[in-house]
Amino acid sequence: MKNVIEAKGLKKIYKMSKTNIVHALNGVDLNVEEGEFTAIIGPSGSGKSTLMHIFGLLDKPDEGTLIIDGIDMSDLKDKEAYKLRAKKIGFVFQGFNLIPALSALENIMLAGKYGGMKMSERKQRAIELLKLVGLESRMNHKPNELSGGQQQRVAIARALMNKPAIILADEPTGELDTKTSLEIIELMKKLNREDKQTFLLVTHNMEVAKDCNKIVEMRDGKRVS
Amino acid sequence: MYTHNMLEILRNLWRRKFRTLLTIFGIAIGIFAFTVMGSMALKLNKMIDGGKKYITGQITIAPKGTDFMMGQMGAMLPVDTLNKIDKVEGVEAVTGGIEMSLDEPNPDDPASMSFGIPATIEGMDLKTDFKNRNWETMEMKEGRMIKEGDPDDVIAIGSTIALDKKWKLDDKVKIRGREFKVIGILDKTMSGPDSYVFMSLDSTRELYVESNPFLKSLKEQQAQAASISVRELASLPKATRDQIMQAKAFKMEDLSTMGSVSWKDGVNSEDVANRIKDQFKDEVIVLSPKKMGEEIDKASAMMNAVILGGALLALLVGSFSVINTMIMSISERTREIGIKKSLGASNRSIALEYALEAGVIGTLGGLLGIGIGVLLIVVFNNKMAETGAEIFLLDFTFLLQVLIFSFVLGIVAGIMPAIKAAKMKVIKAIREM
Repeated sequence: MKNVIEAKGLKKIYKMSKTNIVHALNGVDLNVEEGEFTAIIGPSGSGKSTLMHIFGLLDKPDEGTLIIDGIDMSDLKDKEAYKLRAKKIGFVFQGFNLIPALSALENIMLAGKYGGMKMSERKQRAIELLKLVGLESRMNHKPNELSGGQQQRVAIARALMNKPAIILADEPTGELDTKTSLEIIELMKKLNREDKQTFLLVTHNMEVAKDCNKIVEMRDGKRVS
Repeated sequence: MYTHNMLEILRNLWRRKFRTLLTIFGIAIGIFAFTVMGSMALKLNKMIDGGKKYITGQITIAPKGTDFMMGQMGAMLPVDTLNKIDKVEGVEAVTGGIEMSLDEPNPDDPASMSFGIPATIEGMDLKTDFKNRNWETMEMKEGRMIKEGDPDDVIAIGSTIALDKKWKLDDKVKIRGREFKVIGILDKTMSGPDSYVFMSLDSTRELYVESNPFLKSLKEQQAQAASISVRELASLPKATRDQIMQAKAFKMEDLSTMGSVSWKDGVNSEDVANRIKDQFKDEVIVLSPKKMGEEIDKASAMMNAVILGGALLALLVGSFSVINTMIMSISERTREIGIKKSLGASNRSIALEYALEAGVIGTLGGLLGIGIGVLLIVVFNNKMAETGAEIFLLDFTFLLQVLIFSFVLGIVAGIMPAIKAAKMKVIKAIREM
């Protein structure tokens, strides 16, 4: 299997002040294979979110190498980063992060816009994805007219818009009740199973992580398992 | 794509209706002032251009002591001097003329003071070979221009005079107590001639003498003075003798308050003007076409700066409200910016989106300001048209330029906030979510 993510010796230091230096990542190695459903678990401050930001090209490591879908990110310029982010990476956030002024359909289409998709293609694909997540009938509803579970479904559909190499989900069930959480995880697993969509999930909920292909445990900026 | 973007921009603006409307209104006030002041400047410039065209088409001669800026044009130009100027190298023709106010000045009636060019009688020498190089013929709306051979009691009038005085073609009208027949009404020129009454020089001289007690007295004494012999004259006291000599020498056909000189083809007008200046420096003031053109341009630039400066100040204040609104908007939409960047939006596209939003605010403010401004101008001009003294010139190109300017102003005001939005760190924005 091809590696979607190949990370070796990733280090990230935050200098909060002259004396307060935080080693957020302290030499992390991690490979994520295509079609894999990986969960990263660990307590707060363990470095899992920093790792997600680096994988999502939202931040740069101070040391180490990172290859995403065969492309070495070491020498990547900021201008190239946003293009890769749009085409190779999908994000699902804890707080759904939909744009309030846009309808469900428009929120999904927005990802297509930044991914360079044509307008007609964008709409067609967004409708297909809304069907896939079971929200076709709610396409013209604004986020505040949808339940938390429905908003997260829209966010998943948006993450799928540009057929990314990997979807990074940062605590996707953190703001949902147990029943809805399970529905969302089930939807992601279905997409992983049926469409071979690669997922990398950050969670502190073992219930959510238990059925994943791989579980990575982080502690104090290091991978412990 | 652009329609979609525009819809999103309009929707974002509508999300904060009250604030957006206040900002638009701030810009609208500035653009309104700019439209109205600009239209006024356009009208004044048009009037000035007409005058400039006329004055640069000839060398104008005035008696020494004339102050054009203060409107003191009462001094006489000796006919001998004009005859001598006619012989200066390069001069093609010289003509004398009289310009005088159409109505007798009434300092007790402030309403007699008018905006723009005052109603003026332009005494024309119809027998002269002189021709203004830039203004040989006048376009007529009705009838015809006065010409050589016409009786002395016919006049042609400018469009503003026709409106103001309600004079029509073939009307018999009274000017300073004398009756004239209107045989022509000029097309609107938006400049000086609109306020002119064109009259034969002989008739103008008569009116001029009537209006000047000293000349009137000389004219009345002329016949009596002519009958006094040289011997009788010598026996009189000096003061009386001088007065009688003046009366004897007085000739109506010598009366001129100004002269116009044309130059021969292929000759430099400035050279001719300088020659006249050198030879007659103690007698006349010479206004060369080039110098007059420069002076008019200078005055016009100063006037435009004063008129448009105030309007630009209002616009500046308006543009600060756009900056304020955009900064507020960006602070409130940090989350959105983070989301968009995480979806792959480039710094450029974020900056463009916010700059365009500011541009749309500017354009909407521009449309509102122009709309109100045009409405006011139309109402005002219609009201003033009754007296022929419209003070605004509505020009579509100018309005289009103002609209484009309001868009650019919005963009410029939005640049700083837009760059701020574009430079926002995604992680910071995400952490604020």
